[in-house]
Amino acid sequence: MAFKDYYEVLGLAAGASQDDIKHAYRRLARKYHPDVSTASDAEARFKEVGEAYAVLKDPEKRAAYDDVVARGESGPGFQPPPGWDAGFEFSGRDFDFGPGMDQGDLLDALFRQQARGGQRAGRPAQGQDHHARVMIDLADAYRGAQRSISLRVPVLGPEGRVTMREHKLDVSIPKGIRAGQHLRLAGQGASGAGGGPAGDLYLEVNFNPDPLFRVDGRDVYLDLPLAPWEAALGASVTVPTPEGPVQLTIPPNSTAGRQLRLKGRGIPGSPPGNLYAIVKIALPPADSDAAREAYRAMGKSFAFDPRKHLGANVS
Amino acid sequence: MSKSGVTLLHGAVVEEEVELTLVELCQACNTEEQRIQEWIAEGLLEPVGESPRDWRFSGDSLRRARLALRLSRDLEIDPAGIALALDLLDEIAALRARLQRAGLE
Repeated sequence: MAFKDYYEVLGLAAGASQDDIKHAYRRLARKYHPDVSTASDAEARFKEVGEAYAVLKDPEKRAAYDDVVARGESGPGFQPPPGWDAGFEFSGRDFDFGPGMDQGDLLDALFRQQARGGQRAGRPAQGQDHHARVMIDLADAYRGAQRSISLRVPVLGPEGRVTMREHKLDVSIPKGIRAGQHLRLAGQGASGAGGGPAGDLYLEVNFNPDPLFRVDGRDVYLDLPLAPWEAALGASVTVPTPEGPVQLTIPPNSTAGRQLRLKGRGIPGSPPGNLYAIVKIALPPADSDAAREAYRAMGKSFAFDPRKHLGANVS
Repeated sequence: MSKSGVTLLHGAVVEEEVELTLVELCQACNTEEQRIQEWIAEGLLEPVGESPRDWRFSGDSLRRARLALRLSRDLEIDPAGIALALDLLDEIAALRARLQRAGLE
């Protein structure tokens, strides 16, 4: 465990009152809560703030911490007094990316199992439900996919000791799944007690960011650059889709921002989503005499004032 | 059987194929019925059905309930505050989706 200045984490001086500590924690927790914040380091900051608060809010742990700091034992090999942060229950996060059970669920599971272990030979109880997260590519949502995931689950041994066991699963990700949806895998959660059934496993499915496509529900969006003459005269161009390239007809006089719909080429389903190609006009650079001459000829051919609507030329 | 010798598991898509009972929702969120009832009273969850025994929650309730649980635990927000936060978060998500669609984010 690396030494952290918990006061600094909360933006406080060492003599801060318990009220100050609570206020600072509340403010920073709201700011960095991963469900609310978009900051890339929100998750790490939130954990850090939670860890600092767990120690400083408790007068005994705070005194122990202050004592360690005062004795100057805050070097890199800093070892906190054993058990001083026991019981710090970090809430149910599952944004650790990649599959795995989140710590809150894990602790809950431990406490439940321990509680259950106490009432030996009690009545049958269903095992706890577990939650994990799995990342797929957009193309996987078009075809369906298979993912091997590995969860670490707490298991209560015969002597009441809890050990971590690896739980490996091969999961079929169905075609048509959308970002943020959950899969329920019956009976893949914690095992039950006293002959009770096992809990379920919920897998939250999310998409890896895609360099080309943007996704909104079942609909998929793509920026489609066109040369000015393609947009003006119409053209037939090859457009990538997550299922492979297709040929798309560009109608004449297509303007920038126009959305060309490829019906049913979004994420499959009933009904399937659409794929929208959004027209962008790409100007070729005037970097040769021929290119400059072509632009000049173009200028002569049009009585075109792109700023007409601004009204500045009205005399 | 798949490559690694483990049976390939097929799950149900919660948002499309699953309706949860009160007991199932409590179990999935690891929380007690009373808390879910408080959230229903705030309009945070809207089950169909007359009595708690008949209540059926849409699949999306799982996401909402778990988010509500995290907010109440981490930020110590009361049910009315959570209901407001969830509505605002939904609105922000919709606005972000529009930005993203336009390629602005």
